[in-house]
This record gives sequence, C-alpha cells and structure tokens, in this order.
Amino acid sequence: MRINKTILTIGLPALLMFALLAFFRQSGNAVEAPKAPPAPVAVDSTKCIAQTEYMRANHMKVLYEWRNSSVREGNRVFIAQNGSRFQKSLKTCLGCHATNRLFCFNCHMYANVRPKCWNCHLSPMETP
Amino acid sequence: MKKVLMPLAMVATLALVAYVGVEFLKLQFIFGVVIPYTAAVLFVAGFLFRIADWLIRPVPFRIPTTAGQEKSLDWIRRNPIESPHRAWEAAARVLSEVLLFRSLFRNIRAELRKDASLAYASNKWLWLGGLAFHWSLLVIVLRHARFFFAMVPGFADFLDHADSFFDVTLPAFYISDAIALGAITFLVARRFFDAKVRMISLPTDYFPLFLIGGIVLIGVLMRYVVRLNVMPVKDLMLQLMNFGFDPPGEIGTLFYVHLFLISVLLAYFPLSKLMHMGGIFLSPTRNLCNNSREKRHVNPWNSDIKFRTYSEYEDDFREKMKKAGLPVEKQ
Repeated sequence: MRINKTILTIGLPALLMFALLAFFRQSGNAVEAPKAPPAPVAVDSTKCIAQTEYMRANHMKVLYEWRNSSVREGNRVFIAQNGSRFQKSLKTCLGCHATNRLFCFNCHMYANVRPKCWNCHLSPMETP
Repeated sequence: MKKVLMPLAMVATLALVAYVGVEFLKLQFIFGVVIPYTAAVLFVAGFLFRIADWLIRPVPFRIPTTAGQEKSLDWIRRNPIESPHRAWEAAARVLSEVLLFRSLFRNIRAELRKDASLAYASNKWLWLGGLAFHWSLLVIVLRHARFFFAMVPGFADFLDHADSFFDVTLPAFYISDAIALGAITFLVARRFFDAKVRMISLPTDYFPLFLIGGIVLIGVLMRYVVRLNVMPVKDLMLQLMNFGFDPPGEIGTLFYVHLFLISVLLAYFPLSKLMHMGGIFLSPTRNLCNNSREKRHVNPWNSDIKFRTYSEYEDDFREKMKKAGLPVEKQ
C-alpha cells in the first residue's frame, strides 16, 4: 500500500509533465526528410488571400498555420481558394496592410490580445 | 454512483442546452444577453440576501477555540492570531483563513491500520489542492477583466503577463489554466478514492466541481484549440457592462456554452455551498475575539429581571424588624 502511494505521488506528476511536454512539442517531431519545397513565388500584395470577413475572424489561424508549415516544414507557398499562389510571409500581408500603420493595433489594443509577432518581425509602427 | 453521474449528466445537459439553443435554434440574444443579465441579477440579489440574513442573526457569545492560548495572566504566553483579543487580531485570523486556508493546514487524516490500530497523520494535500484551486480561479477571474473594460485595469494586465510567463504555444499558455484543471481533477479524484470522503460526498459537492471544470475546459478549448475570434466577444462584454440590449455579433457556439455555464453558476451560487465565499467572513469562530475571560458578554435578548435588593427589603420592613429586635443596617 505504502509503495503504491509513493509510485502514485511520483508517477502522476511525472505523467502529467510528459503529457505537457508532448503538448508543447506539438507535432514538430514527426517530420520526415523534407521534400523538395515547391518553387518560391514572388511576394504578391495586390490582392488579399481570402475574403475580408474570413480574414477578420480567422487571420490568427492562417498565420499560425503559415508559421508552422513555412518555418518547420519549409513549405513557403500558400495556395488560395481560387488557385492563386502566395508566399507565406508577413511581407505578403504587410505589403498592402502596412499602409495603415495602426492596421493591426486598432483591434488588438481594443481586444487586448498581444501575440508576440513583433518580438522578431518589424511592426508597421516601427517602419519609417 | 448515482450521486456522481447525476450532476455530471446535469452539467452535460446544460452545456447541450446552450449548444442546441445557439447552433440550431439561433437563440443568440437569449443566451448572450437575457440569460447573463438574469443570472447576474439573481447572483447579486441572492448573495446580498444571504449575507444580510446572516448579518442580522445575533451572535451574543464568543465561541472559544482551542487552537491557541487565550489572553490570561501576564506570565502566560498567549497566541494572538489563533486566540485574538483585539479586533485587528481577529481580522488577521479571518484573513489567514481566507487567503491561506489556515484551518485546512491543520487537517489530520485518521486511518485504520491493518492491525486494527487507529493512526493519525498530518494531511496537507487537501490544503494544497484547495489553495491551488481557489487561487488559480481567482487569477482566471481577474484576468477576464480584459474583456469587461475598454481600458484594461493595470492589475489585469500584470496578471496576464505573469500568467503567460512561460510564453510557449500560441496564444501564450496560461499557467493558471493548467493549475486549475489539475486542482479540479485532484479534488474530484479525492472524493472518489477516499472511502470516507466518498461516503459523505453529495451531488451538491460534485455539481459545482463539474460545472467549474466544464467552464474551465471550454475556456481552454476556446483559447488554444478553436482559437475563437475575440472581437465580437469583447463587443458583447462591453455592451453587457453598459447595460445595453443589442444582439451579439458573430461568435462561435462554444462561447455561448461557456457563458451559459457561467450564468448557471452565478444563479446557483446563492442557493448552494458556494456561499462560503461570503460566509467565511461571517464565521463566528473566526471573526470574534476570544475574550470571554476578559469581558462579560451578556445575552442582549434576555428579558429584564426585576431584582429586589436587601436595602429595598429593609426599607419596607425596617419598623417591623426593629420591633422584633432584628438588627438593621440603616437606623
């Protein structure tokens, strides 16, 4: 009885830690040898990659997917619904949207959501 | 078994009600505006009623607790926090109970050994689990201030930063989410696995645990898995704070389930054991000074007794007493 309890008190937290570890690592470990990436496309900022309504509600999912697939899997080409191809890069978005320096910040300040994009990337507020 | 499954089924049904109501019957206005207002009114009115009800109950006598030495002779060392004799000492006792769960720290577990001897041992797990549960819930609730105010108060900002300190996953993972889920799991498991606690656990013990667990779980899902659009959520919350009645915008159904379960929790609050939130401040063994030796406490609703003193008696019978040769005090 005594030993069982010791196992439990040590084992359960350990199990929890492993579960958390798996959660944090996400799916980044099961990558096969990278395939030859599709030919890069030029940054095209003349049109948006999706409908405005869709982008308003889901831009974070798109950016999250872009980050993972482009940085971790090397797949830097996004094929939009209508078949046009875009470079998976913040530059694609900001090429147009940076004309309004407060484009991101208006809503993000209001909703108090602060993703860490600008820890690495240059924000439209910082560009001259 | 039934007393676990019943509350679980109730929470599941409540969640389903909100899901069906919003997803299929399109009752966004009912679940987003009407029910939250109703729940808030029930919560505030019920809470105030309960507290007022407790406040007007007279508590004439002090209940001495044996946890510490009461103030006595000068050379007897006393314990000011456990056995207070001044108001601020009593306040310290209440606060140590509210903030640190002082009395749970003294929790002792009795266990019948195999050789039929009874053993007692200090058991701090409940204290630790309870502390983790309540503090993480408090942090989570305060953190939600970012949805309720246009200008987010400083403490909420600070909590938000401190809570997402690890800065892993996107959006940043909150430590308090993990602690709350872990603590709820522990508190439920404790009721399952300890035979004595299982015996005394009632559906009213499981229901709030499952309800809060469901709320936290759906919150976690919304943040990390579904990644809900928060703009219309903030619109709705600011509107509710300003007592507006506009229909809510395009928000995912999961949010309405979250909001409905919180509304149920608020409405259920004054009717349930959750009232310990207010009641703990009114608990007489915590908030009254142990000064029965120092001060005489008279029951204020004792009926007045007409005493007849000896001098009054003598005044009435003085002459007769003198004649009978009895000694009198006043001539």
